[in-house]
Amino acid sequence: MRTAATASALLDRRAFLRMAGAAWLATLGPRAAFALARADAVFASGCMDHAGRFAIAVLSEDGTVIDRTPLPARSHGMAYSLATNHLVAFARRPGTFALVIDRSGKTAPVTIAAAEDRHFFGHGCFSPDGRLLYASENDFDANRGVIGLYDARDGYRRIGEYSTYGIGTHDLSVSDDGRLLIAANGGIETHPDFGRTKLNLHHMEPSLALIDAATGGLVQRHALPEKLRQLSTRHVDLDEKGRIWFACQYEGPRNDLPPLVGHFAKGEDLTFLSLPEETTIGLANYVGAIAVNRREGLVGLTSPNGGRFVVLDAESGRVLREEDVPDAAGIAAAPHGFAVSSYEGRFAGRRADVAWDQHIAGLAPPR
Amino acid sequence: MPGRAEGGKLRVHRLAALLLATGFAFPAFAQEATPPELTDANVGAVMAQAVDDVIRPGYRAFHASAGALAKATAAFCKAPSEDSRKVLDAAFRQAVTDWGRIEIVRIGPVLDDNRFERILFYPDRKSTGLKQVQALLQQPDEADTDPANMAGKSVAIQGFGALEFVLYGTGSETLMSAPESFRCRYGAAIATHIETTAGQLAAAWDAPDGAQRDWKHPGPQNPVFRTGKEAMTALLGILVHGAEAVRDQRIETFYRNGGTARPKSAVFWRSGNTWTSIDANFEGLQTLFDKSGIAEFVDPGHTSLSGNVDFVLTALRNVVRTADPDIEKAVTTPAEQQKIAFLLVNTRDLIVSLNGDFGGAIGLGAGFSFADGD
Repeated sequence: MRTAATASALLDRRAFLRMAGAAWLATLGPRAAFALARADAVFASGCMDHAGRFAIAVLSEDGTVIDRTPLPARSHGMAYSLATNHLVAFARRPGTFALVIDRSGKTAPVTIAAAEDRHFFGHGCFSPDGRLLYASENDFDANRGVIGLYDARDGYRRIGEYSTYGIGTHDLSVSDDGRLLIAANGGIETHPDFGRTKLNLHHMEPSLALIDAATGGLVQRHALPEKLRQLSTRHVDLDEKGRIWFACQYEGPRNDLPPLVGHFAKGEDLTFLSLPEETTIGLANYVGAIAVNRREGLVGLTSPNGGRFVVLDAESGRVLREEDVPDAAGIAAAPHGFAVSSYEGRFAGRRADVAWDQHIAGLAPPR
Repeated sequence: MPGRAEGGKLRVHRLAALLLATGFAFPAFAQEATPPELTDANVGAVMAQAVDDVIRPGYRAFHASAGALAKATAAFCKAPSEDSRKVLDAAFRQAVTDWGRIEIVRIGPVLDDNRFERILFYPDRKSTGLKQVQALLQQPDEADTDPANMAGKSVAIQGFGALEFVLYGTGSETLMSAPESFRCRYGAAIATHIETTAGQLAAAWDAPDGAQRDWKHPGPQNPVFRTGKEAMTALLGILVHGAEAVRDQRIETFYRNGGTARPKSAVFWRSGNTWTSIDANFEGLQTLFDKSGIAEFVDPGHTSLSGNVDFVLTALRNVVRTADPDIEKAVTTPAEQQKIAFLLVNTRDLIVSLNGDFGGAIGLGAGFSFADGD
């Protein structure tokens, strides 16, 4: 998960309030306005309430829900542009919608429908200037991942697509300078006719690809080695040095102990971290989300399957902290460490009456 | 028949009111229930009941009815008659039913070697399978009548979808005109291949050191489930994903509330077995829910959660069994449309309840219990 926000200059609370706009602030109730006023950071996350209704919620740093925007179905990842103050929630794969919310309230929400023969695949990102939205999508007939290009200045009209040079593309990010797109090709074939059934677990093709954001040309592609072909590379985030951290989910035998996290950079091979055995066991061979806290040089991982939250030192790769968090869901950089949510409604220590979905987007970076 | 339609409408309304009265949609007390401790012993017992009392008998029953279908198809081909056709129709319906009961299990050996798609390639949105079968029938090749050759061919020409077209699709009336026609022998080869695949599935689950061992004994060395909680999540996942599949992949493929109806996209519409198949899906879910004992994990003070699941499954089945097997009529008649709408609304509630409060009440956390690939 990555937002353009984390690639930009620090934004303080006043700047966020100014950008959010008076119209939006006016919609907040007193409790929510109070929470926002004392917030040092704000987040967004998909959620489901007890009636099974889905929404995208905005939260204060301490986990207070400030507002919710209803969604037609379950969402997954989000993209946020600090430049335009637009927040996008992508439908869970295989999804047919993405909802764009103008946090300043100047324009009405825009629903982007998936193109013919394409489905949204849960993630996306903005170009640093906010003019382009890149969406992770799937071309089912050809069984290949694609990046949908949408013009934010023209009602999010789809203006083209790039190949991801892989299959089962999931997370998608962009370098700080906007020149490279980073695609996490999970390598798992699915088809809407068979729901979310994984059709090729015995011949998966996971890979990580760097793509020229201007041309769509392949810059670099790392297919995982044969012995790790069942290691699905699914989520990415970038650290201060521009290194790309990736987190994986293993589809092989449950009693294997595969590497679950690593990093690489342009011109470099993949480096897998050798986590302690008990950490790998704790993560249950499944990292659901990854986030980098650049200011503190930390990498955070969550695993709903293992009910675990792990913090690594970005420099050494050493495990700094491990914590049991039942049904751990999303993670995002916070002023100190990370904000972590759970399916059972916990967010930064506070409990809400909703189930939080798998990802958190930071709407303002930590100071 | 206006009277019948009106009766159906009333029945659906009455059921809807009843469901509302039971407070089925997300009772708010699950969080107050004390979730059980999931131990090796209690999880192992439930998994053993699910495997030994539901899954293995389910595959064995399907294997038996697939065998009967293969025999009936061969007999009909040899001597086509009204009588042999009746036997064949009944065998086809029974095999569809037995597959429908166990097809809810979309995990385990059925995912190996594309077995699921070999048995039923559906939906076929772009008519890929239909075109392949039509082309095969137009250019007869004796190799296609040998079941041994099936496994190497496209999955679209070797399962129930292909067999249904052969027996009930355009041109099937020619089957009665002469014995041992190419079309019929191709159908017999498909039926035999379905029996073979069904046999593989039954064997994979019956082998003492196979899937059943992994399912009954979660642990650090287990290649499928490391912990009891993982095993329970998978078991509840069968129920949730099975209900999702009925709604998304069986009903909404041909009818969406407020959308365009596509009756010829319904599963088994040619043979009039659409609702037979869907009813069997619900029956399979109910059997697994009841016989596995998964509900025994619910806090004794909150057993109404389990009762609600059972109640809604029963209500869904009651409505399905009154639905018109003529899908063209079912999607165009208001009273029938109401029944389908009822099924869509209540499968959604079933999913929400299983995935939410019920999941929470058995110790799996209410909400998104299934980190299935994202």
